[in-house]
Parts: sequence; C-alpha cells; structure tokens
Amino acid sequence: MIPTKDSLEPDDRQLVETIRRGDDSAFEQLVRRKTSKVYSLCYRIIGNAEDAKDISQLVFIKLWENLEKYDPRYAFDTWLYRMVTNVAIDFLRNKQSRDNAVNSNLRLVKTAADAEQTVTVQRKEVESVFNAVSSVLSPKQKTIFVMSEMDDLRSSEIAKILGCRESTVRNHLFNARKLMQQQLKQRFPEYSRLWEESR
Amino acid sequence: MISCQTFRANLQPGTHDADLLEHLRRCDSCLDFAVQVDPDTFFRALGGDELVPPGGVDAFVGDVMAQVRSRETETATEPRRTFTNMRRLAIAATVAAAVSTGLVVSNHRSAQAPVGVPMAVLKRPLVTKPIVETYESNNATIIEVPSEAKDDVQVVMIFDESLPVDL
Repeated sequence: MIPTKDSLEPDDRQLVETIRRGDDSAFEQLVRRKTSKVYSLCYRIIGNAEDAKDISQLVFIKLWENLEKYDPRYAFDTWLYRMVTNVAIDFLRNKQSRDNAVNSNLRLVKTAADAEQTVTVQRKEVESVFNAVSSVLSPKQKTIFVMSEMDDLRSSEIAKILGCRESTVRNHLFNARKLMQQQLKQRFPEYSRLWEESR
Repeated sequence: MISCQTFRANLQPGTHDADLLEHLRRCDSCLDFAVQVDPDTFFRALGGDELVPPGGVDAFVGDVMAQVRSRETETATEPRRTFTNMRRLAIAATVAAAVSTGLVVSNHRSAQAPVGVPMAVLKRPLVTKPIVETYESNNATIIEVPSEAKDDVQVVMIFDESLPVDL
C-alpha cells in the first residue's frame, strides 16, 4: 500500500525498514495488516482452523526471525507468500505421512445410486468435498490449486512465489484438477456428474 | 456486487473477471447455476473472502507478539557462541596438538622402559613439554582441562581468533 494524502499508513517496505531499526510496534502493525491474508491462505491449504492458526503464527515468527533477509527490491507479499507456502507445505507433508500411516485403507466411497440424485450445490458442502478430494494432492499441488482458484493469483505470480517456472505451475494445476475429478467420481459421484453433463 | 441477472448473462467457462468471481462467492442462488455452466467454478466458490483466525485478529496478534518478545528475551540472555571457521580450525589444531604431544611423550617413555623392571618402578610421573609455553593475548580464553590423576596428561585449550592455524 502506497501512502496517499488520505492515508498516512506506511507501506509494507517502510514498515519493514522501521522494524529493522528495532521498532516492535511496527512489527505488530505489520502482523495486524497481514493476519487475514496469511490465515486465509493457510486455512485453505491446510483445511483446519486450529492448525491454520498455529501455522500462521509460526509464519509470523519466521518472518520476524528472517526480516533481515528481505530484499526491498521485491514485492513484500511475494516474499511473505513464499514463507507461508513453505511452512504450510512442510506441515502438510508431515501430516500426510502421519495420516497415511494411520488411515491408509480408509476411503469414503459413495454408491452408484447416490449419483442418480439431483445435485444442488451447497456452499458448505463444497468445502467438505474440497477437503476430502484434495487429500490426494501433493502438498505442492494443493498449494498451487488454492493460490490459483481461491486466491485468484495468476500462474506467473505463483511461479514467482514458489521460485519455479510458470509451465511447472500450469502442469501442477492440470494434474491437480485431473486427480480431483477422479476423486470426485469415486467418492462424490453426484458431483462428478456435473463435469460429464457439461461436456 | 453485480446483479444475479448480469452474472448469469456474462458467466463464461474459465472466467477471471473479478466481479463475476465476487458474485459467485457471495450468492448462493447463483452457485448452482455457475457450476452447471463451468464445473471448474465448483471450488472457486470457496475463495475470495479474507478469513479471521479463531479468537479474532487482536488475540492472534497478541499471541504472536508474546512469542516474539519471549524469543527476544531468550536471544538476549543466551551467550553468543559463534565461532568463525578460522577460529574453529585454530581451536581444533590446538586441542589436537596438545593431545598428540601428550600421547607421543607417553609412548616414548613406555618404549624406553628396561626389561624386567617391575611395573611399580615404571610408573613415573609423565613430563610433557608444552608446545605453547607462554601466550599473551587480550582476547584469548584459556581453559585447563582438569586431570583425574596427578600423572595424567595436562590438556590446555586456547581459544583465540588471532591464533595461527598452523601452530
């Protein structure tokens, strides 16, 4: 945010400079400014409110510890998003390996009869469907899918955040969609019919 | 927010239009319609809004700042133990030189022992000649490793950034 005549709020880079000079209250201001953004991304990647809160706090602690490494030539949000995705991906990797060890054979599979029902999409259910079908994605695929479909970031922006090529982002997106459609077909046939009907 | 009529008239598969996406994410009655037009909007409906952590932003910020302050205190009270690579090498070289000198002297004395002399006679106090006999520096930390017995090799460690590696 660039300060205007109407707003005397310092922008992100100015806040970082103030923090580097040892002003804790500037860091508090930065945390307050970025809390919703960081938490929303964490929640959508992780899918659990309490875990997302813990991970978001961890992100801000890491931010505080690594603020000296921030290069003001780059957008602060890109750097922050990179930190969020790194921490969230690490968390998901650990969680997936724990879950796989415990629940490797547990799969909710709906019957073909369910598929015949008329579908009315309920927003609340979309979230639980997403949490279920996205569990087959790799942490990186899920992160890219969330940033693209829910945070509306372009492939070029995601590539910058993750430090990879744009084509890699597009490949991950393509594979994520494909895997989730397979999962929908298997676990939520009533929704997977939507894709079949529209083609 | 645009009207449902405008939304339904303009929605195209794969849209990136901010107004259409905003409507998609706020209007329940249009969600079903949107998914029929473009199933890929199914999960796009979840995005958009910035969410608030459980307990609210104030509590969240308070928790983060408390953790930051606690880490600041820990950092301030912890002694600094950072050594440069040169210093690490100098320390390692000093310790290795002191230990090996002690061992060489010890072995030399054992080898010189005459045949047939009882062990009690052989057990003489070990005398080592230290490599560093005097050392003067304002920055040096000198640590003497305590010996268990009177005759043990005496190990002295010198920590000094200016100490040459090839001592």
